[in-house]
This record gives sequence, structure tokens and C-alpha cells, in this order.
Amino acid sequence: MLEVPYVTSYLSEHFADAAYQTLEGYERRGGYAVLRKVLAEMSPEDVVELVKASGLQGRGGAGFSTGMKWSFMPKGNAKAKYLVCNADESEPGSFKDRILMERGPHQMLEGILIGAWATGAEKTFIYVRGEYKEPADRLDRAVAEAYAKGYLGARVMGRAFRHDVLVHRGAGAYICGEETGLLESLEGKKGQPRKKPPFPAQYGAFGMPTTVNNVETFCHVPHILGRGVEWFRSLGTEKSPGTTLFGVSGHVRRPGLFELPLGTRLDEIVFQHAGGPPDGRKVKAVIPGGMSMPVLPAHQLDVPMANEFLRERKSMLGTGGIMVMDDTTCMVRASCVISYFFRDESCGQCTQCREGTGWLHKIISRIERGAGVPADLEVLLDVCAKMEGQTICAFSDAAAWPIQGMLRHFREDFERHIAERKCPFPASFEL
Amino acid sequence: MPRITVDDRVIEVPEGQTILQALDSTGLLMDGVDVPHYCWHPKLSIDGSCRLCQVEVEGMPKLQIACNTPVQDGMVIRTQTPRVQQAREGVMELLLVNHPLDCPICDQAGECKLQDYAFEYGAAASRTREPRRAASKRVDLGPTIVFDQERCILCRRCVRFCREVPGTGELGVVNRGDRSVIETFPGMRLENDYSMNVADICPVGALTTKDFRFKIRVWFLEDVPGICTGCSKGCNVHAGVANNKVYRYVPRRNDAVNGTWLCDEGRLSYKRIAAGRLRHASVRGERGARDVSLSEAVAEAAARLRGVLDAKGAGALAALASPHATNEDLFVLRKLLAALGVETRGVAVVQGRSDALLMQAEKAANAEGARRLGFGPASAVLDRVRQGAVEALLVLGHDALASGALRGAQELAPLQALVLLDSHQSELQHAAHVVLPVRVAAEKHGTLTNHAGIVQRVSPAVEPDFEAWSEAEVLWRLGAALGLAGFEGRFDALAVSRELESAQPAPAGASA
Repeated sequence: MLEVPYVTSYLSEHFADAAYQTLEGYERRGGYAVLRKVLAEMSPEDVVELVKASGLQGRGGAGFSTGMKWSFMPKGNAKAKYLVCNADESEPGSFKDRILMERGPHQMLEGILIGAWATGAEKTFIYVRGEYKEPADRLDRAVAEAYAKGYLGARVMGRAFRHDVLVHRGAGAYICGEETGLLESLEGKKGQPRKKPPFPAQYGAFGMPTTVNNVETFCHVPHILGRGVEWFRSLGTEKSPGTTLFGVSGHVRRPGLFELPLGTRLDEIVFQHAGGPPDGRKVKAVIPGGMSMPVLPAHQLDVPMANEFLRERKSMLGTGGIMVMDDTTCMVRASCVISYFFRDESCGQCTQCREGTGWLHKIISRIERGAGVPADLEVLLDVCAKMEGQTICAFSDAAAWPIQGMLRHFREDFERHIAERKCPFPASFEL
Repeated sequence: MPRITVDDRVIEVPEGQTILQALDSTGLLMDGVDVPHYCWHPKLSIDGSCRLCQVEVEGMPKLQIACNTPVQDGMVIRTQTPRVQQAREGVMELLLVNHPLDCPICDQAGECKLQDYAFEYGAAASRTREPRRAASKRVDLGPTIVFDQERCILCRRCVRFCREVPGTGELGVVNRGDRSVIETFPGMRLENDYSMNVADICPVGALTTKDFRFKIRVWFLEDVPGICTGCSKGCNVHAGVANNKVYRYVPRRNDAVNGTWLCDEGRLSYKRIAAGRLRHASVRGERGARDVSLSEAVAEAAARLRGVLDAKGAGALAALASPHATNEDLFVLRKLLAALGVETRGVAVVQGRSDALLMQAEKAANAEGARRLGFGPASAVLDRVRQGAVEALLVLGHDALASGALRGAQELAPLQALVLLDSHQSELQHAAHVVLPVRVAAEKHGTLTNHAGIVQRVSPAVEPDFEAWSEAEVLWRLGAALGLAGFEGRFDALAVSRELESAQPAPAGASA
């Protein structure tokens, strides 16, 4: 059975076509025409300016301007320059990149080649998480096809432009999705984020200037170059243009992927597209953008899914991985799972993160066991505050935010555990 | 040079440094500007992980780690604001969540950065109710170091040290998050010529040396500045002294000599201050050697030398200098030889292993000083001894024997007069007619000239628990007993050092 998005737009419209995975099938649908045109007609600076003007935001979680990121790469050829495609997709609740790689590997490669032209990169490393065997296999096939056709190699499409692509299968961890943790892992080292400065654009993979972009980010690029800035900006919101692939999981009747414009309301996605909760249940909470983003309560689902609106509710779009929890769910138990994950995945370099993630998990587990005390909640919030904004990478923030969100909206669940000295949600999922 | 403002103090700092490096190179770090830090070390690469050194930089919304933030001209840095204070408290509280409360049995107590900073920046009470991490308390990392996993705060200085300084890279961090632990790589032990430095740079009591652990509480120790005499590098040390005994050497920073390091061999050389010492003056007569007072030994030595001098002239006399003696000692020896008219002289130096870091091949602290004072190769002396041209020999130390220049003490048996001044026992003392114990560098005032010509001062850390003079004093009294001009009056160490300075001005780079 084909796993394709329920709702499609430009990124995923041909994903039901199995031939689209092949170079021939991709070209039949108009693929690689944009690259040909870009190489013939556009200077690298033009491409960077156009992508900047399109307002494309990185789809890996941080939402930084892709055009800006490309412009940080040094000019000239003093050193080899690299691109890295971040295909680690390690954020719990996210599964869009997998489908993008499996169903449209050439769409991604075309985006990579345009990015390479724009930044002057001679090589791209695609870092695919080790668990993603199928996507990596399909990428390998696509890369081989592109070499055979002369779309990769010494003279891309017959032009004086060299580009090589290497598919690297990660032996990583959650933290290998952080761009500098990824670079360390790519180099064969333990996946631990690097201190900045230096930034990857100065000192990246193997010491060379490097730009790291997410899978989906590259996939948007051929469409923007092909159809123009105005078209792209006609989709989504003013500040967050384009579509994204929302992945909905949890207590919904139709979990799956939905390619929708940014700014689509969360309740529309959850109830209309994903079918809402099972019969007789009510939605209690929704994590809007992968596990590291703060949860929203049922009465706040009227929010447009774009960073400028989600920020007002103290959350973020993240990777667009939407996790729905119904009214049987114990939010302390959910916090246990979340804090366990971050405790387990912290790389252990920075004090706040290494010690903070462990401490949070220990306190929350104790509350869930019925051994909490009222003072625990203030300690939790205080530890979260100490973990925020003070570490090498954003992992520590990502570990603190969801717990802050839980206490902001579901403090009552915690207080009941403490007062009743047991978990008051016997029907909740088991730990 | 960029000018930066640190807590309202405007300073000029070297180009291309980070805030912490700049504070260190201007001498202000923890000595005027308190920026606490664990993972940063002036001689190791920047790690940026302990997060304790965060400071406020004007124009930057977040706190910045001082260790990795490059200085820029006009930068305004604040190290004592409430926000900075709060961040430090936060780091300290989190570091203490899993740290055991075993200070009463911890060797680091008293010189522990965790104790110090917890006292200065930490909260009085602990808020944690959770059990602390349990881990191995006594991991045998190698021949020199024991590791307590529970005390480790994962600053990873030791890991970087092994990779970057000796280049052996035995240590790494295994596991992640709060299960992270320092380990040796599979099949490796922490075993290199500099392994014990990891105990110095460990800010807590996680890494301790087998040599020093459980010997004495550090607050009983007085840190006396000294010079390691293990080789001609002249590494600067602090001798840890209590009860007139040296318990350890730790490196004392001197960027012109040893930086912040000390080799294991040199570190353990403190033991020679007490071990194997020559404790008594003795004179060999018809019925073997008998212990005598120092004055008697000097008188006997003078008589023996005078006998040869009168019978055969100064040409039958020779002297072997010690490369361990101070410049002052050797200066008096030179003066004595000049007064006697003795020209046959030399110095033997034991050769050993060397490396590109600190260890020098010459295993003596003042070989270069001896050469600069005119003592050439020992062969000049020993060749003449073997030819039978020498009848009286004045020997300082037993390096001729230890270096193999002299094949055995029996080679000196034909001599009419063998006068030995030595700090340690050797075969030579049994061949000598007169034996005089002398002081080692850690027991006297003087200067040593290292391999690169840097002159460094030593002063007494301990007193010998037997009667002994410096070589200079013995030789002075010998000169006086021989009635030589220039050796009138009591021995005056200060006058000797003044005379030496005027005869041979200290070269640039001399340090205290």
C-alpha cells in the first residue's frame, strides 16, 4: 500500500505515482526543468536573492530564512564548500521527511542541486537516520540515476558545475538532528553539538564552510524557482509562506500527513482533516510541532499554524508534527514520557542540560508515583528556567519548554497527583 | 589591540582572544575579575560545556560564555550582575544534584573548585529530594590515577589533556546525558609520561594520584615555590610541605618554562629529598670509615689535599662538579680551584629519556649552569685519572658513576686523596677518603640554570634532619682550612650570590 499524504499540494501531488520515484517518472512530471533553466539563466546570487525574497523558512524546526542561511556561505573558492541535507528526522511526532524521500527523491535532489549552485558547494552529504533504511535505499537509487544521466558529477547537465552527493546513513541519536551534532556524527565522532562560534558556514563538515538544510526545505526550492516568488507567497501567511506537511498522530481517527498552507488552523487540521478523536472522547491537549514544542489545551486550538501566531500562545511550529491527546490522557504521565526522552537523549555536555533533564524526569516520575510534594512544582519551573537559553545548543530549551507548557496548561493534573497521592487517570496509556 | 571594558575597568587585550583568554593573559582572571570556570583551562582547547563562565555582554540579549566569546574592540562586559549571579547559582545547583557529599573523606577538600564556587555562588540548602547518582568510587585508570565516577562533574579537562598534551588520548566520555562517564578506551590504561597532571586539572576530587591520596589533608600543607630537579627543564613546582616533609610536587605555572604541566617522573622526584640521603660525614682510616663531625671532615679533607699539593703540585689535583649543585655552589668550587691553581675539571651528567614537551635528556637541574661556569666534559678529568696523572680528586655528587663515565668506584682506588661531597648515597662513598653530606636544592638558597639558559631561584622548603651544609659552604670552609686567599671569614651565602652576579650577570628571562 502506498503511504501518501491525505491532502496534497505542490510538494506531494505526484506521490501516489510510484514512477515519480524514478528519474524518468520525475522528468515526465516536469522534474529537473527548473534546474536546467536555473543553470542556464541564473547566477548564484540571483538564486540566493530570489529564495530570500520568497520568505522560505527552514522546515527543520527553527524556521530560519533559507535565503539568509545560504547568503552566510563565504564567496569564492578558497576552500571546498559543502551542503548537508538533514534527513535525521528525529523529532518524535515527525514523519514528513521520510515520505518526501521515499516518494520524491528527485524533487529533493533537484532542490539540493539548485542550493549547491546558489552556494557554490561542490558536495552534499545527505545524513539519513539509521532507522530510515527504505528512504536511504531509495535515495541511493535516485543518486545513481542522477549520476548516470549526468545530473550529478563533474559536469552537471553539461555545464562547468561539479556536484557530488553522498548518502550517509547515521548511527546517531536525537541530537544528531541538531546541525552541529549532525556534523560531528557525519565525521565519525560522537554526536555532540559544537560550540559556536565558529558557525558551520565558516567551519562546518570536515572543517569546510557548510550549510545544513532540512529535507523539506530543499523540496520547496524547485517549486519556488519554477513558479516564482509571487506564487509562493500566495500560499500560507505573509510571514510564513508556502505549504508544509503536517503529520498528525495520537488520538485521532485519521492519523497521517496533510500538505496544507502554513497558517491553516490547528482545529481544522485535527478535526476536519484528521477526523478528530475517537467516538465518545474529547480532545484534551495538542502538541503542535513535535515533542519539543509546548502543548496547547483544547480551548486554544483555534490558532493558525504559523510561528507568528503560535508564539503568541507560547508554542512553535517546530517540524509540524501534531500529537493529539484525548481526555483519558494523564498529562503527568505524558510529561514523564517527554522528560524521559530528553533525559535519555541529552548528549551530556552542558551542565544545565545533563543534570536538568535528569532532575526533571526524576521529579515528574515521583509525582506520577504519588510521592510528589507541593514544592515540586516550583522546583520544576525553576529548573526549566535554569535550562533555558544557556547551553551550547537548543536541546536544553527543547527539554524545558514542553514541561513548562504542561505546567502552564495542566497544572491541575499535577496538583491532583500530589493531593490524591496517586495517578487520577487510570485509563491513561501505560508507562 | 582591542580595548574592552570589564566591570567598569578599561583594559587593552591581545587580538584574537576570547574574553576568558584575555582576562587570563592580562592576569586579571580570578585576581581582580572573578569569572568562575570549570571546563576552561588556559593550556587546553576550549570546550564551552560547563556554562559557569557566563557573563553579560552589552548588546547581546543572552548571557555569553566568557571562554568562547571572542573579544571585540569596545566590548562592554559585566561579570557581577544579578543575572550573572543567578546563572552561576543555577549551574552550581545543577552540578550538585548528583555530586556526593563526601567532602570529609575527599582528598580534594580544601582545594576543590566545587567547594569554593558552591561557597561563593551556591545556595545554602539543597532542594533535591531525589537519590544521587550511584557510580563506581574507585576506578583504577592506570598505574598513577584512581577515578571516582560519582565526584566527576564532566568538565572533560582530563579527556582534552590526554588528547592534546601527551597526545595519547586514553580517555573519553561514554554514554550520554546524566549517565555520561569518563572511561579509558577499550584495551587502554591511562598510562603516559604526564598522566598525573589530570589530577591537578581535575577541579574536583574525581581524579586523584595514587601517590598522594589519603596522605594528608591539603590544608596542613604549605605550598613552597620550588624547582623540579628531575631534569634540566627546571619545571616550576609547589612543594607541599608539612612537618618539615615534602608530601608532593604540583606544577606551578610558568609559561616560559613548563606552562602548567609537570612530568610524572619529575613529580615523583620529591621523594629523593628524603630517600637515600647521605647523612653523616666520615673519614676513612686504617681500620675503615668512621663517622666524624663536619668540621673534622673538612680538616681531614684539607690535610689530604694539602699533602698531594705539596708533594706533586696543583697538576695532580682535579675536580668533578655536580650538575645538581647550584650556580653558587659551583661558583665557590671554581673560586677554590682557581685559588689552588687546579685546571683539571669537568662535570658528568646522567642521560635519560627526553621528549618534545618537557622531559630533557640531561637528568640534572643545573647541567647548563655547570657548563656556563666552565665545567666541561668529565672525560677531561677521568682520562687524566686513568693515566695516573691525578692523585687528589675533589668530587661533588656521584653523577660520574651514575652516568657510566666512571666504570666503577674501584677506578678511583689508586688516588691518594678522594674527597666526596654528596647529597645521596652511592658506591663512591666507600671509595672516598673523606665524605661530606650536602644539601639538595630544596634545602638551600641558590640559582639553577635550565637547559635554555633561564636562571631560576630556589629557596629552602625543608631543613635536613641531620647536619649538612651546602656545597658552597663546605668548599668555603675547605678553602679557609687550606689557608687560601679570598676564603677569609665566615661563609656568607648572600655575599657569594652577589659576587656570582657581578662575575656572571643573570641572562634575560631569569625568574624568581
